[in-house]
Amino acid sequence: MKMNISMKMTAIAAAAWFLLLAGASAFAAAAAENYRFYCSQCHGLGGKGDGPNATKNMPVSPRDHTSKYEMEKLTDEDIINVIRDGGAATSKSTLMPPFGRTLTASEITAMKDYLRRLCKCKAQS
Amino acid sequence: MSQGQFSSASGMLMIALSFFFFASSAFAGAGEGKKAFDAAGCAACHQIKGPAKEKTIKDALAKKGPELWYAGSKFKKEFLGGWLEDPRPIRPMEFYSLTKTNQGNHPKLSGKDAADVAGFLMGLKAPEVKDSGIKPQENQRGRIIFVKKQSCYGCHQVKEKGVITGGLTGPSLAGAAERLSPDWVCAYLSNPRVFKPVKDMPDYAGILTDEEIRDLAAYVSNLN
Repeated sequence: MKMNISMKMTAIAAAAWFLLLAGASAFAAAAAENYRFYCSQCHGLGGKGDGPNATKNMPVSPRDHTSKYEMEKLTDEDIINVIRDGGAATSKSTLMPPFGRTLTASEITAMKDYLRRLCKCKAQS
Repeated sequence: MSQGQFSSASGMLMIALSFFFFASSAFAGAGEGKKAFDAAGCAACHQIKGPAKEKTIKDALAKKGPELWYAGSKFKKEFLGGWLEDPRPIRPMEFYSLTKTNQGNHPKLSGKDAADVAGFLMGLKAPEVKDSGIKPQENQRGRIIFVKKQSCYGCHQVKEKGVITGGLTGPSLAGAAERLSPDWVCAYLSNPRVFKPVKDMPDYAGILTDEEIRDLAAYVSNLN
C-alpha cells in the first residue's frame, strides 16, 4: 500500500510526538534519580527538607520542596542559579552547595522542572 | 685486591643483601596481606584494582563499600592497621544509604591479619596522588572555606569544641588528621572523577582555585 503525502506527514508527526514524549519521560526519570542521589541527602527522599543531613544543630533547615508557599517565591531562574552556583548565588545559606560542575545545564533545568512538580507550583507573578 | 678494596666490596655486598632481604620481607608481607584480604572476603565490598569502574548513579549505588585501589595514597598506615583491628564507623550512615545508620558491624581482623592487610593496602597507590608538600595545619583560609564559604560540615561531621557536629551522609572528618593523607585530600578535590567518577558529593574542582584547594586540604587533614 502506498502512503500518500498526508499519511506520511501524519506518521512523521506521530513519530516525532512519540520521541518527544519519550525524551521528556527520560529527562524526568533522570531528574528523579539525580534528586535521590544528590538532593535527598539534605532535602529528604520526599523533598520535605528532612534528609539525614538536616540535623538539629544546623543553622538553617533545608527548604521543603513540597511547600507551595516556599517554592512559589522563587523564579525558575532563582532555582537554576541556586542549583548551579549554590546558596550564595541567591543570598541564601552556603549549606546549599554548587552543582554547576557536577550536573550539566540540561540536568539542572530538568531538576528545576522536577522541583516544580514536587511543589505543584509556579513562580508567583 | 687491596684490603681497602675488599672492605669496600664486602660493604657493597652487605648493602645489596640487606636490600634484597628487606625487599623480600616487604613483598612477603604484602603477599600475606593479600592472602588475609582474600580470606576475609574483603573483595566482596571493596575494589582493589583501578581504575574506577562506576559510570552511572546505579553503578555507584550498587557498591557496598568504599573502593580501596588507592588506599595507600589515601590513608595513614598507623591508622589503617588499628582500624582494621578495631573498626569504628567512619560514615554515620551505611554506605550510600539515606535511611540506615551505620551499625558499626564491619568485620574485625586479628592483630596480625590487620597489620598484614594494612601493609598490603598501603601498597595500593594512585599515581594521581602526588607529593603536594601540604602540611596539615590550622589553616585559617581553609577553615573559612570549610565553615563559611562552602559549609562542608553540611555533609561531614567534625569535632567543634569537643562536640561532634555536622551532617551525616559524608564520611566523618572528625579524626581526619590521623586517617587521611593531605596529598590525597588535595588530589581528590582537584581531580575527583579519577577516584569517584560518580559520587554524591559535588565537584569543587573549578569552583575552588588550586590555592583554595591546598588551603582546604591542609585544614581538613589537620582535623582531630
